Amino acid sequence: MARAVDEEVDPGAPAPNDAPKRDAALSGRTRLALGAMQGLGLGGFYIIVLIYFSVSAPFFFSASNAVNILSNVSVIGIVTLGQAYVLIAGGFDLSVSGTVPLGGVIFTMLINRGTSIPEAWTIAVLAGCAIGLANGLIITRIGINALVTTLGTWSITVGLAYVVTNGETVAFNDLNQGPIDNVVLGMPLYVWTMILITVIAFAVLRFSVYGRMIYAIGGNREASRLAGIRVDLVTTSVYVISAGLSSFAGVMLAQQLLAGAPTVGANAALNSIAAVILGGAALTGGVGGIPGTVVGTLVLGTIANGMALMQVPSFYQQIATGAILLLAVGFGRLRAVFGQLAG
Amino acid sequence: MAADLGNSTADVSVAANEVLRATGLAKSYGGHLVLKHVDFAIARGEIVAVIGENGAGKSTFAKIIAGVVEPESGEIQVEGRRVAIQSPRDALKLGIAYIPQELAYLSNRTVADNILLGRWPHRGGMTSDVAIMSAARAEATKFGIDLHVSWRMADLTLAERQLVEIVKALSRSSHVLVLDEPTASLTSGESQKLFTILRQLVRAGLSVIFISHRMDEVFDVSDRVVVMRNGDVVGDVPTREATRPQLISLMLGAAAEELGTQRPGRALTEAALELRGWAWTGEPPIRDLNLTVHRGEIVTLFGLRGSGGEAIAEGLAGRNPKFTGSVVVEGREYPVFRTITASIRAGIGYLPAERKRDGLVMPLSVQTNLTLLVLRSLSRLGVTQIPAERAMAQRMRDTLQIRLRSLAQPVATLSGGNQQKVVLGSRLLTNPRVLVLQEPTRGVDVGARYEIHQYLRSIAEQGTAILWVTTDVEEAVLVADRLVVLREGRIVAELTDTSKTQGQAVALAAKDAA
Repeated sequence: MARAVDEEVDPGAPAPNDAPKRDAALSGRTRLALGAMQGLGLGGFYIIVLIYFSVSAPFFFSASNAVNILSNVSVIGIVTLGQAYVLIAGGFDLSVSGTVPLGGVIFTMLINRGTSIPEAWTIAVLAGCAIGLANGLIITRIGINALVTTLGTWSITVGLAYVVTNGETVAFNDLNQGPIDNVVLGMPLYVWTMILITVIAFAVLRFSVYGRMIYAIGGNREASRLAGIRVDLVTTSVYVISAGLSSFAGVMLAQQLLAGAPTVGANAALNSIAAVILGGAALTGGVGGIPGTVVGTLVLGTIANGMALMQVPSFYQQIATGAILLLAVGFGRLRAVFGQLAG
Repeated sequence: MAADLGNSTADVSVAANEVLRATGLAKSYGGHLVLKHVDFAIARGEIVAVIGENGAGKSTFAKIIAGVVEPESGEIQVEGRRVAIQSPRDALKLGIAYIPQELAYLSNRTVADNILLGRWPHRGGMTSDVAIMSAARAEATKFGIDLHVSWRMADLTLAERQLVEIVKALSRSSHVLVLDEPTASLTSGESQKLFTILRQLVRAGLSVIFISHRMDEVFDVSDRVVVMRNGDVVGDVPTREATRPQLISLMLGAAAEELGTQRPGRALTEAALELRGWAWTGEPPIRDLNLTVHRGEIVTLFGLRGSGGEAIAEGLAGRNPKFTGSVVVEGREYPVFRTITASIRAGIGYLPAERKRDGLVMPLSVQTNLTLLVLRSLSRLGVTQIPAERAMAQRMRDTLQIRLRSLAQPVATLSGGNQQKVVLGSRLLTNPRVLVLQEPTRGVDVGARYEIHQYLRSIAEQGTAILWVTTDVEEAVLVADRLVVLREGRIVAELTDTSKTQGQAVALAAKDAA
């Protein structure tokens, strides 16, 4: 692979006149090849992971376990979609770790007081959106850095979740309140929900004008501003989406657990950012996408599942997640170095 | 003669079909007035060139028209109606498009995406690459510019990126097009093509504000020339009535006559710094460049921005390891420095152009900043000797007349001129045998500038060799024992006392030697 790239890079002795054009074309193709390598890299890596666990982990290779994996990643998968929007727009959202439990807790308290499920769900999501709006306004109007802002709102939202429940896990009064568990066409409803949201998130980011604006502001804020894009508005909107989706995922998690707990979701920020970065995004913004993000989520979910089946203690998963993230980003860095040598 | 034309600008007279008028625009940055009171008007179908030296306020003026910065006072009228342009979005809505001097684009996206940035074709909010590509191709074809719309911006040459930005702006300018040095990285063929397009569009009713420092272009393309100096409009003449010497003297102002002070010739025999066979393939390419600075001599390396002076200064500082060639400092030959440490060890003191980014640690104290480069010599067993550090800082404060409340105050709270003295002081403490200064008085007020000049002259007289890299012609002429003019990476002239005038230096640097 690397060899093929090397051969492409050497343009021989081009006529001086069209040299720049040819160089650019070659480096374009080289970049494409390198990009494909990275795409294959994560996909290929995922296939290796699947093969490894199919051989080593008992009960791994089965349809029911596949559904299992999807079920396990449904909550974090939805959080990750919002995180992808934020990272591609050049931002950062740690507060998902607080919005997830807060959404679940708000939902639980409401239905225990007799609010209908759709109403409670809507209120919880709107509360999440409000947190996102606060994030967006603080970042764009006051100008506090996204990391600091969302670190602050993370702490505040987790604190709120504890306050609302008095620090306890609140079980559903009516344990039949979980229609989301119903199995439709072989998969629980919440898996279908995740898939539906993923498809919408993909279509919007890839095919809508709004999606292009997200790439544009992440890629070059000033260029976007000069082009008349309302960068503050778009920036704020991605935080609203991220928080809304996190809160939505929190409600889904509460329905799976039949309880609202302020303690859940602490790893949501780490895992969602890791998955998006694995999927090819960069903290500098402007690159990445939903397909990569989905594979990133699946890689992390599958490794967790396979390790559980192999009866590896769950805390090793965290080590594995961190190691994979560093490996993937390290690979990207090497790619950049090679890309530079090639270009 | 400058005065005559200066008076005529009080009345900005423009033909009846006026598109845009600005009155009394003023803007300051950090207490420094960069635009004082600018009146400007442009008619439909007119190309107005705005010229002036670095720091004359041309770019700030362009940014105000384009909504990138808001003026502190003054008003803008479009077609006789007073408008508030608070953002580029507002300007675009009024049909005013702008290409900044520093190109702003998305390097990870395609050419097509960039051309249509922010106004991609869509149906119900949804768009597609195919639609974007074909719309972008149509735009490029319309203006007769050949572009590969599916390529990523990062894969294009600088000139091609500039063409993309031009198509982007042309395609969205219905009334006024503001171009800030649009030909900076274009070949003359490409520039000609741009001018042809501009002339066509102007016949169709577009008005163009064309900021430039290239005289050839001004005469080539414009209908009228507006000359700016120190934040004011000092001349406004129809291009066909203007002459080059007249425009140059307007740009330089009274400074042109005041300067050119003669210095007693001293025998300069011992070379302190020699650049031998320097070459690199960057922008602009440099081939076999040789340069000598003698002990006690101030050599200014003058060129327009992007002429290579910056690269050479950074090469001497060890910041640009891509150069090949060698450096001789006080008789000892080194290969081009690969690291900054190597440069410091060889005895070179380097003053970077961007003091805030590269020269100072803004939140730290003046004292800490002054001793940053000599901490090791001030330390015993890794512990800094505070009294010695303090004494050293005090000495520098007195030598350079740095005005401050206390040495413990954060360097960020000093004025630009005093900050620059701190950077200079920190370099002087390493006892350099050669000083390489890059734009040493940029953003420095007149008083501090004078003091810095005086001080540098005095250390030169004590034997330090100074290579002074600048894009400011006034300064280049004023301070130099010998003025070396750089154009597109080549030394095109060396001027000494008798031949050293600003007009000549600018003409040489801009390829305008008449």
